[in-house]
Amino acid sequence: MVQYSFKKITVVPNGKDFIDIILSRTQRQTPTVVHKGYAISRLRQFYMRKVKYTQQNFHEKLTAIIDEFPRLDDIHPFYGDLLHVLYNKDHYKLALGQINTARNLISKIAKDYVKLLKYGDSLYRCKSLKVAALGRMCTVIKRIGPSLAYLEQIRQHMARLPSIDPNTRTILICGYPNVGKSSFMNKITRADVDVQPYAFTTKSLFVGHTDYKYLRYQVIDTPGILDRPFEDRNIIEMCSITALAHLRAAVLFFLDISGSCGYSIAQQAALFHSIKSLFMNKPLIIVCNKTDLQPLDRLSEEDMKLVMEMKAEAIKTVMGQGGEPSNEEGVLLTMSTLTQDGVIAVKNAACERLLNQRVELKMKSKKINDCLNRFHVAIPKPRDQKERPPCIPQAVLEAKAKQAAEQEKRKTEKDLEDENGGAGVYSSNLRKNYILANNEWKEDILPEILDGHNVYDFIDPDILLRLEELEREEGLRQAEEEDTEFEMDGNELSPEEQEALAAIRKKKSLLIQQHRIKKSTAESRPTVPRKFDKYREFTTERMGRQLSNMGLDPSMAINRVRSRSRGRKRERSFDRGDDGGEAMDMDVDRPNKMLRVRSRSLSMSRSRSRSRPPSEVVPGEGFKDSAQKVKAHKLAKKSVKKRNKDARRGEADRVIPTLKPKHLFSGKRSIGKTQRR
Amino acid sequence: MRLEKCWFCSSTIYPGHGIEFVRNDANIFRFCRSKCHKNFKMKRNPRKVKWTKAYRRLLGKDMTQDSTFEFERKRNRPERYDRNIAENTLKAIKKIDKIRSDRASDHIKNRLKTGKIQRQKEARKQLEQDIHLVKAPLALAQDSSLYLPKIKVNVSQTRTEENQPMEG
Repeated sequence: MVQYSFKKITVVPNGKDFIDIILSRTQRQTPTVVHKGYAISRLRQFYMRKVKYTQQNFHEKLTAIIDEFPRLDDIHPFYGDLLHVLYNKDHYKLALGQINTARNLISKIAKDYVKLLKYGDSLYRCKSLKVAALGRMCTVIKRIGPSLAYLEQIRQHMARLPSIDPNTRTILICGYPNVGKSSFMNKITRADVDVQPYAFTTKSLFVGHTDYKYLRYQVIDTPGILDRPFEDRNIIEMCSITALAHLRAAVLFFLDISGSCGYSIAQQAALFHSIKSLFMNKPLIIVCNKTDLQPLDRLSEEDMKLVMEMKAEAIKTVMGQGGEPSNEEGVLLTMSTLTQDGVIAVKNAACERLLNQRVELKMKSKKINDCLNRFHVAIPKPRDQKERPPCIPQAVLEAKAKQAAEQEKRKTEKDLEDENGGAGVYSSNLRKNYILANNEWKEDILPEILDGHNVYDFIDPDILLRLEELEREEGLRQAEEEDTEFEMDGNELSPEEQEALAAIRKKKSLLIQQHRIKKSTAESRPTVPRKFDKYREFTTERMGRQLSNMGLDPSMAINRVRSRSRGRKRERSFDRGDDGGEAMDMDVDRPNKMLRVRSRSLSMSRSRSRSRPPSEVVPGEGFKDSAQKVKAHKLAKKSVKKRNKDARRGEADRVIPTLKPKHLFSGKRSIGKTQRR
Repeated sequence: MRLEKCWFCSSTIYPGHGIEFVRNDANIFRFCRSKCHKNFKMKRNPRKVKWTKAYRRLLGKDMTQDSTFEFERKRNRPERYDRNIAENTLKAIKKIDKIRSDRASDHIKNRLKTGKIQRQKEARKQLEQDIHLVKAPLALAQDSSLYLPKIKVNVSQTRTEENQPMEG
């Protein structure tokens, strides 16, 4: 049941399209393949299904059309009349009736042919029955083609009708053409109605919305009405008449007192009187427009008289409602849409009048009693004449007064800041409101960090007690420590012992080093028997030194050795004559520090090497005697004399044994490029 | 302003030093220097890295449990200021510090004691056994003190002249 909007009606297809749609749907949605050899029941079923399916679809669609189009009797009389005015009720009903009959016809056709199909005995017969059925259905639709087209047109037009709610607050604007109704409409609502100098610019109803006292009002702009007998009116005028007749609205009758619309005031007044029957029970306001061209006061007498007559009529309507006769101002108003002078006043007046009327009506109706029942203000009944004013204790009153005074007198931090130089100069002392046990402590500075600790972590009211305990513990612990240490001390080595130990370790490490060298050079070192003592390691002096280092007296040992080695050659002793084995004293003072250092060092395998004359035969070399050695020396020198003289390259001179060693000039690299060799 | 502990090496982080890393699960990691930060990013466990306090404490090299540690406790509620308490606290901090460091060094000393005793024993043994390398047993028998013999040098004029070129 549509209320006031006809936009939801489905599209009505025209005849041909309708047929196409249904038939193609039948073809798609029903099985298509059938063969001669099938069982007869199957063939019959197949074709019956097609016929039924087509009939169903037609039925559905036609039903939809019939249901969606509004029935003129069921909708609001305003819309009923409007549709009648626009589309002619009879034609409309006829069209819908035809659709209905078509629907029934199709159902009948389908029923008949299904009955026939039940007795079809061959594929061909069934098929032709089906073809006939569908054909007849399609003919039916073809016949109602014009109705369908007509309904489609109506539907399109209906969708564009303005959505006017007949039950809500409405203001209706009516009057002669070109008096300024649409401009007024544009002024008070957001509707953008065409405003043109020619008459009948507005050809249909237009809706706009405006607000007053938090309520929404519909404002309906109507096409202009001419003064004609009722029967002669055209469709456009009939629209506004319909609106006037059916909508319960406040009516603004527009009057052009300047006459620039092309019609005199007399004509407009005549119109007014002819349609005043329509203003029954509606709050009426007569609006004089275009006062910028002709103000009301300067009207001619006749015109003034006519206007007053209209006003009287308007007042009558007010009285008819039972309203206040004193409120004459709300009946005749002047304004100018061009200068916007008085526009709002007119709107307010209209809205007010309408609102009052509606409220009155509501109060009179039965429904209001339900609402009224919900409000109830309970007032206790006075039981005697005693006055009982509210009781406020004195203390509260005083406190309130004080607080009020304080609010005014109190000096805020901001004031303080302003006094002392403003925001950048003065920084407020946040400490002054601290609550401490002693007010002198407010400005105390406590360090946050001390010796790598956070002071706040240590703060404790009984820290002194705990500290005392701790110190006591510490004392005990330290006493214990001392005892254990005392025991321990006895095991320390004395300084002499430490010296001796150091000497032991040093000697030992030297021995080890020596041994290691000997071991590593064992392969390449010549093993010469001890009697060929090239570096004079085994001398009596040495032995004497070592023995005396160890604390023994070497003299006896040296003498013994000397006595044994009496058969030595003078040569040797001549060489060593200078060093001679003088007896070494144990406690000789060392004059020279250097000597002391040197003599203290234990001799290594290579002791002091001495230069020897070239003819001296050294045991390890392999010469028989001195002469042989000298000859060998001479021969060697001769062999190189010539070469040296000629400055030729010799043995010691640089030579590259292979100019192109294979490993450098061939082969691939494991990683990298071989750009250079 | 607070002194924090480095998460990796447990040293104190003074204001203006180090980096603080907040992870998506809202754990906060503070590092005293980039060394610790980089070690953390390498996902190293401080308990296995030898130079950190965590390692040392875990292996018992440093003192872990002591009553001096209980004096320092992070409080989340601020206490009302009291001058006397503040004074006492400041004095106490120094004393507690001293006691704590004494105890810590004693701990380490005790830990090293056994090694020390061992080494002393070995030294004594070596002294007994290897004394023959520096003092002949005969000499030792004559003079039982460990007074080592001094080295003799044969100082004669001729020799010094000969030896001089070698010294150079």
